[in-house]
Amino acid sequence: MAEGDVEWELSKENIQPLRRGRAISSLHQALSHEQDAINQQRQAFESELRMYDGDDPLNVWDRYIKWTEQSFPCGGKESNLTTLLERVVTLFKEEKKYHNDPRYVDLCIKFAENCSEPLDIYRYMQAQGIGVTQAGFYIAWAEEYENQGNYLKADRVYQEGLMKFAEPHDKLLQFHKALQARVSRHILTNVDEDDSDDEPKELERVSLASLKHRGKKKAIAPVNRTGSAIKCFTGGLQSQGVPVLGNSSNSQLVIFDESKSEGAGTSELRAQSWMAPPTHRAKENEQKPAKWCDVKMPQKTKFGHTVMPAPPPKPTFQPFVEESDQLPKMTPCKINPAVNTVLSARKPCKEDTPLKRLQEHHRQQEEVESGKTQEQSVYCKELLLSGATEFCFEELRAERYFKKMAQESQKVEGQEA
Amino acid sequence: MTSTLKGITLKGSAELVAEFFSFGINSILYQRGIYPPETFTRVTHYDMSLQLTTDPKLKTYLTNVVAQLKEWLFECTVQKLVLVITCLETNEVLERWQFDIECDKTAKESSAPREKSIKTIQDEIRSVIRQITATVTFLPLLETPCAFDLLVYTDKDLEVPDKWEESGPQIIDQSEEVRLRSFTTSIHKVNSMVAYKRTDSV
Repeated sequence: MAEGDVEWELSKENIQPLRRGRAISSLHQALSHEQDAINQQRQAFESELRMYDGDDPLNVWDRYIKWTEQSFPCGGKESNLTTLLERVVTLFKEEKKYHNDPRYVDLCIKFAENCSEPLDIYRYMQAQGIGVTQAGFYIAWAEEYENQGNYLKADRVYQEGLMKFAEPHDKLLQFHKALQARVSRHILTNVDEDDSDDEPKELERVSLASLKHRGKKKAIAPVNRTGSAIKCFTGGLQSQGVPVLGNSSNSQLVIFDESKSEGAGTSELRAQSWMAPPTHRAKENEQKPAKWCDVKMPQKTKFGHTVMPAPPPKPTFQPFVEESDQLPKMTPCKINPAVNTVLSARKPCKEDTPLKRLQEHHRQQEEVESGKTQEQSVYCKELLLSGATEFCFEELRAERYFKKMAQESQKVEGQEA
Repeated sequence: MTSTLKGITLKGSAELVAEFFSFGINSILYQRGIYPPETFTRVTHYDMSLQLTTDPKLKTYLTNVVAQLKEWLFECTVQKLVLVITCLETNEVLERWQFDIECDKTAKESSAPREKSIKTIQDEIRSVIRQITATVTFLPLLETPCAFDLLVYTDKDLEVPDKWEESGPQIIDQSEEVRLRSFTTSIHKVNSMVAYKRTDSV
């Protein structure tokens, strides 16, 4: 490597740190904009996913996802990482042989970390028995609790892991000890401070109240996240759809009850029956393709949103005007209030979450099994859609053709030799 | 120091390089979380803010090492300084920061100062330390409590001072190596490199 190779240093802010570190060679490749090479490799992985017929399909996925992490240091949508993780988690959720495979557990944890509510995923995993004998699972779960400041539950997760004899035992013990050390240090340093740290970390609004909506328009104002637990997403406004009356807007304020929360803690770890992995909520600025032809422009209400903002107050000083300068004639200007679209809120559309897709998938499978399905694709739909990107028939055909060619040329070589 | 002079002498060069190591080691220890961040204090040097340890034991240790190093730098007998980060529990080497030192031994004979302003040298040093800070973008997370060790490679005929002991190179097998920038005082040239455990990727 040349010493002048400082590409990584120039874009250090755009590189997401990875737990396992990055291979410097793939970092160079990714940063030097060798899109062709990256696209080729991705295509190779995509076709390998479809053409693989061995007995360890997870292997391809595992390598593909690790490659994706290394090759897209900035993350982002074009890396397809979340899609891939979601696919692989749903694909093998029924495969008992993978449930305690470290690779699969690792992928599930990565999936959880990419979601806005990792705890749900961990609980789901526990209920399904995914990773219950893997130390890594308990470590990830406990770390999530710790991030949210819930040391008690983090500790409980480790105890659960120790009870289940999760492997590797040493690692689990070591992390448990480290947690205890951190907690005791935390308690020591915070002994004089007030106990506000123990409050449940919920989303806080700056104003402590949710924004009201006015008239028929149900404008959803973004939750302004200020709490230390911005990762834990309570979702939407609680007073949504409820007629706003006096104090009800304060419903976000939760009074902490220590004894109550401890009781909840014990029930938290009990296995729940989850039908499907919990969703990772719809991300911002991510709209699913939908029909646009019937969409109507939202009509203006008679009051509220058509009001012009107050004009800025006149300056109290006399602005300096050069003597030679003639004042331009003021053209009468009247802004048509109907054109004022400032601050019109986007209507909350129906979310198409991964959970819904998954449940749909479940339902369809059941229908197929019970034989009352109405639709049947007579083409290999699964193969076309199984990766992160869609394949076309020709690509599949080409893949098979090249495989055949390679086999034939091998045969010929064998005969010649 | 010699900032009023235009050139640089062997003594000044040794001092500058030793100073770089003092700040460099402190930054690595801070960046990699070997010691808790609250035991560091911020100072401004090389026109940038740097973290220096306040841990008394560590401080004396580093002062001793740097003083010894300065002596060796002055005698031009040191070849390498290596900072090894090992896992406390398993003693496995996780990271290895290597600084190769090339000494121009002719400087020992002629005492004439070399033409290189301190400002240029400090600029070079600054970019090395910046790069050390930037390495967190690709280095793996150190998940376990870690310890560090300093290894100094010297010429063979040197006597080992008290409290120093001979050790192996502590190489990481299957490591990923990244060269960092280098700087030179025109008497001592320092090449930096970091090695870390290879990722388990494809």
